[in-house]
Amino acid sequence: MTYDLELFLSDQPAALERVLQTTRYRGFKISQLQMHNSGAGLQLSMQVSGPQPINILTTQLHKLYDLASLNIEQTLPQTA
Amino acid sequence: MTGAQAILKSLIKHGADRVFGYPGGAIMPLYDALLDSPVRHFLCRHEQGAAFAAIGYARATNKVGVCIATSGPGATNLLTSLADAKLDSVPLVVITGQVARTSMGSDAFQEVDVLGLSLSICKHSMQVMEPADLQPVLNRAFAIAKEGRPGPVLVDIPKDIQQGFVPEDVPEQPAEQPLPQAKDTAIHAANHLLEQSQRPVVYIGGGVSMANAVPQLRDFLNRTGLPQVSTLKGLGSAENHHSHYLGMLGMHGLAAANLAVQEADLLLIIGARLDDRVTGKLEEFAPQAKIIHVDIDPAEIHKRRHADVSILGDLQQILPALDCHSQKSSWLERVEKLKQRKAFSYAAHQAGEDIDAPSLLRSLSDLSEEDAIVSCDVGQHQMWVAQHMQFSHPTRHLSSGGLGTMGFGLPAAIGAQVAEPDKQVMAVCGDGSFMMNVQELGTLRRYQMPVKILILDNQRLGMVKQWQELFHDERYSETDLSDNPPFSQLAQAFGIASCEITDAAEVPAALKTMLEHPGPYLLHVRLDHKANVWPIVPPNTANHKMWEQAR
Repeated sequence: MTYDLELFLSDQPAALERVLQTTRYRGFKISQLQMHNSGAGLQLSMQVSGPQPINILTTQLHKLYDLASLNIEQTLPQTA
Repeated sequence: MTGAQAILKSLIKHGADRVFGYPGGAIMPLYDALLDSPVRHFLCRHEQGAAFAAIGYARATNKVGVCIATSGPGATNLLTSLADAKLDSVPLVVITGQVARTSMGSDAFQEVDVLGLSLSICKHSMQVMEPADLQPVLNRAFAIAKEGRPGPVLVDIPKDIQQGFVPEDVPEQPAEQPLPQAKDTAIHAANHLLEQSQRPVVYIGGGVSMANAVPQLRDFLNRTGLPQVSTLKGLGSAENHHSHYLGMLGMHGLAAANLAVQEADLLLIIGARLDDRVTGKLEEFAPQAKIIHVDIDPAEIHKRRHADVSILGDLQQILPALDCHSQKSSWLERVEKLKQRKAFSYAAHQAGEDIDAPSLLRSLSDLSEEDAIVSCDVGQHQMWVAQHMQFSHPTRHLSSGGLGTMGFGLPAAIGAQVAEPDKQVMAVCGDGSFMMNVQELGTLRRYQMPVKILILDNQRLGMVKQWQELFHDERYSETDLSDNPPFSQLAQAFGIASCEITDAAEVPAALKTMLEHPGPYLLHVRLDHKANVWPIVPPNTANHKMWEQAR
């Protein structure tokens, strides 16, 4: 399955690295990634896919201390 | 106030008056300030040893352990211990020196990106880049290390920040994350499942101790009388003498514990994560059982197995709310029979016979003080300790569970002895594991701590050898350690009293001598290399298909 995630992170060193590392380690691939610093923090849009339920990833992302919010925008069937 | 002085002030403020570490270039300002500080520093002989000592301190007390190292190799030497603390949820604050800010990013001498290296093996990591941030960062580190599911927090501090002026700490305390509140509906649903079940089993994990909920657990078990099994980290949580306590489950679990779980129609999992070493073949683990999963970490719920009811929150509040009044007489009779039928029997220590490690450890358990602390390394001896020794509390059994780190035992015992200077502390080591942090004999010598070291020496990397024997057609690849040094002589070179035994008849007197010795002591026990750990659940096999003896 493919998922679109919207994350808001505090602008701390390694905040983005933590998200990328957690996503890889929990078995998800990133197919799209956009990030910009809004001044108040880092706005991250990420499309990921993986064989496991998305909560395997999101529950781990929620444990990151730099994460202020996380929304799953939509779920799409995986395309070839 | 300099940054170094501020760090020490912060340690005192957070109750960390005993710390472990090893000095070096980028952390020298802090070590200089230590000379004028009430913080007591214990010099270990390797940064990995210092961090394991901090883990031993933390696990023996459920307080935050602290260790200190320099940049570069000092920091990289810590990494295995950080991963160990992460996987076993141990609260640590680890302070590393870093090269000065003006040199960062230039591949300076002893510069390494420890912040980047630590990301996947720490609960959180922070680098202090402004003097004003130093004390708030340390406050946050202590809060994060112990809140919720505990874990290690790394704080990397450039040398110039340690040397320079930092402002006084602001009085504002960081707000602790509130624990999730268990939902009444989940409690009711759990109690309903408990009432309805015919064959329930309580599966106890390390989270019980970390939540300081051992009294609440024991009260629940005494109120309900339900059958109980434990993970490696949960050992000591239930009362050993409880008639329905069945011991450890899993790959080297006790047969009665594994069989009861496989027959259960309900598992009440408390502070545990369904580790693969516990479940065996996951698809066939407790196949008829519904699951109630109680934990503080939402990420563990449904991770390995769907939970019919999940309860997130503080075990101190949840356990008193759980109950079960319905009678399970036939199930309890079945459990009692299993326990009786599958109980271990122990050999008398007869002259002329090889030393039997399980019998020796049972004797050690019987002879030692009730609240003795036992630390162990990783391998066959670790499993024998878990199977055959008894612990009055989970803080009395220190074992590297998740990471399975050889070399854990001796430095963790040192940390436990620092935490509990008046308690009996023992390190039960394998010959392979002992050599991985053997330098910490120097730490024992320096502080003359009365740690007792028991080396169970089968001249092999025993657990790997066992797998080669059972599952690799006896193809023994690089597991012969018969060229290890004579450990008794090695101890004496460090000024530590020692003894070597080879015959079973020597066991009782040797244990007594060791335990009565006033200072550090090493007992070298030679075992037959053919001895293996039983039961064993072969890989990708259901737990009820365990092998209980050699085939």
